[in-house]
Amino acid sequence: MNDRLQDIIDTFRSVDEELRLELLLDYSRRLPALPDRLRAQRDAGLNRVPECMTPVFLFVERDGADSDHVRLFIDVADEAPTVRGMLGIIVAAYDGARAGEIGDLPADLVNRLGLGGAIRMNRLVGLSAILQRIRNEAVAAVTA
Amino acid sequence: MTSHDYATDVLVSTEWVDEHRGDTDTIRIVESDEDVLLYATGHVPEAVKIDWINDLQDQTVRDYIDQQRFAELCGRHGIDHDTMVVFYGDQNNWWACYAFWVFKLHGHEKCRIMDGGRGKWRAEGRAMSTETPRYAPREYVAQPADPAIRAFRQDVAGHIRQAAPLLDVRSPGEYTGELLHMPDYPQEGALRGGHIPGAVNVPWATAVNDDGTFRSREELTQIYQVQQGLDPADDVIAYCRIGERSSHTWFVLKYLLGFEHVRNYDGSWTEWGNLVGAPIEQGAPKPAAV
Repeated sequence: MNDRLQDIIDTFRSVDEELRLELLLDYSRRLPALPDRLRAQRDAGLNRVPECMTPVFLFVERDGADSDHVRLFIDVADEAPTVRGMLGIIVAAYDGARAGEIGDLPADLVNRLGLGGAIRMNRLVGLSAILQRIRNEAVAAVTA
Repeated sequence: MTSHDYATDVLVSTEWVDEHRGDTDTIRIVESDEDVLLYATGHVPEAVKIDWINDLQDQTVRDYIDQQRFAELCGRHGIDHDTMVVFYGDQNNWWACYAFWVFKLHGHEKCRIMDGGRGKWRAEGRAMSTETPRYAPREYVAQPADPAIRAFRQDVAGHIRQAAPLLDVRSPGEYTGELLHMPDYPQEGALRGGHIPGAVNVPWATAVNDDGTFRSREELTQIYQVQQGLDPADDVIAYCRIGERSSHTWFVLKYLLGFEHVRNYDGSWTEWGNLVGAPIEQGAPKPAAV
């Protein structure tokens, strides 16, 4: 896992569960809006993550020709703040990162953040599927 | 217009809640969601939050909170024995019905569901706030749990022997045994796929319209009584995976259709599917009994 994610995990781990949920809500609010150029694709139903009941749209792009870095653009409904928060953390940690770093994104992120008690499995609808998709698409983006 | 002229003793409209939400001396509005953060993003201004895991369950005994903790929960939200508690939430009031069921389990008399839930309230552009209201604590004297609305595994075994009605409210794929969990949801720990022998399958969301309100009494009668052959005098046990979806169906049968004896088997498939010695069936539903 990269340093940015480690910093986020350390911050979560330094506070109690109530504050962790507050932090998660902050990340949910700070998830960047989709750039204008990608909105049309979303509105056309493209790039939707099919495993997820909550509408989640994922765009992974190579950060310039020959770069091994990628940009992450993710759109999640406002009414799914827990999923938004988790993806907000991933964008904060990995947007602009090297694709190889994203490959190391831990599958047990919820537990590492100390949120395993407050967020039961069925609240994170399809999250593991989204993580897997981000890993795969990041690698694919830089090898295309 | 989806407001109903039936079940007015348990269903209130968003409009009614908007008119009465200021009556905080006599009414407490409660939001119960699947998403633990949703309330904090904005809610009915006067509403408090009750969380299905953190407030209503006691993980140390795999049970609901006991009488004393229920009294404490109500007391700290300024709810007393006479308070009318109005529940609403996300996912077509799925979790609101679950909270309603737990309040009924503890004998709270005046409980209501806001028809259409959070989705309808938002869609209508009604007031929302991120401020958490605080109410003066009240003394709540809790009643012993009401066993009449809760089924245990031995009750289910008895139903199998007597061929009494069992209603499986999970998705068709979970019912047949093809899936061990809800479509799109992670696995939640059942070793076997299938259903309780003799159970019929009516997915819980069959009971709601696109806007999250409950279907009309005529439509519900058609679904549960005509198509499935259930009778309001029947002793019905409803179940799902962990007893949350089936609390929604329990509400529909008991309060919207007036079934006298309907119980929620909250152990549900996570218990029955894992229980040593418990028989199951797999495959398509059998034709409804006539």
